[in-house]
Amino acid sequence: MDILFTQPLLGNSELFFEGYRNTLILAVGALLGASAIGIVGASLKVWGGTLLSPLAGAYVEFFRNTPLLVQLSFFAVLLAPANLGITGSPIVVGLIGLSIYTGAYVTEVIRAGILSVDPRQIETARSLGLSQVQALRLVVLPQAIRTVIPPLGNLAIALVKNTAIVSAIAATELLKVAGIIETRTASFDGYLAALVAYWTLTIPLAIFVDVSERRLGYSR
Amino acid sequence: MTAISVARRRLPVGRLVLVAIAVGLVLAGFATGALPANRWEPFLLASTWTFLGRGLIVTLLIGGTSLVASLVIGIPLGIARASLTGPVALVVRGWVELVRATPILAILIVIFLGLSRLGLDLEAVQAAIVGLTLYNSAVLAEVVRAGIRSISRGEVEAARSLGLTFAQTMRLVILPQALARMAPAIVSQLITLIKDTSLLFILGGQELVGFGRSFFNFYGNLLETYIVLGAIFFAICYPLSRVARRLEAGQPAGERIVVSGEADQLATATSAR
Repeated sequence: MDILFTQPLLGNSELFFEGYRNTLILAVGALLGASAIGIVGASLKVWGGTLLSPLAGAYVEFFRNTPLLVQLSFFAVLLAPANLGITGSPIVVGLIGLSIYTGAYVTEVIRAGILSVDPRQIETARSLGLSQVQALRLVVLPQAIRTVIPPLGNLAIALVKNTAIVSAIAATELLKVAGIIETRTASFDGYLAALVAYWTLTIPLAIFVDVSERRLGYSR
Repeated sequence: MTAISVARRRLPVGRLVLVAIAVGLVLAGFATGALPANRWEPFLLASTWTFLGRGLIVTLLIGGTSLVASLVIGIPLGIARASLTGPVALVVRGWVELVRATPILAILIVIFLGLSRLGLDLEAVQAAIVGLTLYNSAVLAEVVRAGIRSISRGEVEAARSLGLTFAQTMRLVILPQALARMAPAIVSQLITLIKDTSLLFILGGQELVGFGRSFFNFYGNLLETYIVLGAIFFAICYPLSRVARRLEAGQPAGERIVVSGEADQLATATSAR
């Protein structure tokens, strides 16, 4: 622990934990945002018909096939007071950008979850007297969740790692804070501590994914 | 038969409407002044495209070099991950898992700044190639491991009992099959890699995004340039994603290496049941 809590870090501990907190806010907030987008996106893709389904598909393809850095920079400029005037806060831009980017991946994961359930099961459930909502809730959902949980866990890991890119639009998250500490104290310890801080988030998530895969019967 | 013809009739309608929406949005942008036409004019100049083209070449060179280096390191690492036991296996596993648990941008910055502190001054481009290779070799090691694991153990045993050495078994029997199954995952990872080259710009290196920044610093057309940069990346990555999907579709369901989530999160590189 002595290695970690060196003088440059102790002197800037408040700043460091602000960075840690902001990374957490970005990750948790964007996970919620991306889940909401993903549920809507997947529903549109599966049940959206001629118009909405390709629209959702275009959203997925576009945001998955361009760099997050370009998207974030674009949103930072677009939402800035000088243009749309929605927000100048890098954290808010980061939340929006990460949600939209990750939402594209979540859409695909949830869509695969929905499609993993044989549609004949819905027909069977309906013919047994269940309503459409009941059939979805009691028959489709429990099976779809099984398929969806491990990949969603993986997306959460990717999301935590992607919060680092928000430093590029000057959000004071872990990596940015490490840079500030380096400028202030000429010490590299901020960066090393940031690595460890990321691991405190990603490694437990990785273990969760591993366990859930085994529990849910994925062969490895 | 009817299902197919319905699907064929459906697709263009949806796409046409999409194009109409996109054109409408652009026209609305011009009409309301949100997208001033003069800011797009620099993109009509040939010099713009030779300038951005130079950035694109850097991007592709970094992506290509890192991919090759990652494969060279990642394949042996993956074989080690799949076949070793004991303390060495733990070290390999620890390394792979730790690298995959670290943000690529943090890896790039730590390598770039850290190595120069140790007295090894790398240029941003070199540091980016080292960092991208370090990260992607770990990811590909997991892909390779999943690929090898997806081949029945019986094949290893059969090959060994026929007198092949471990190296021969891997090279002649297991890897050719495993690589075919891994191909979609490797192409998906290439997409992530190409997108990640943009991070070089944060290290102060000049690749496509860096060239784009110099460009809009001159013309003052930030949003327009970002849209064009996004379109260039899309033009490279989208065809690759189609290739990945085609490769995946060509494989029997039971033999697929399922890439779940974002391509670089391959903890679930499981063989489908």
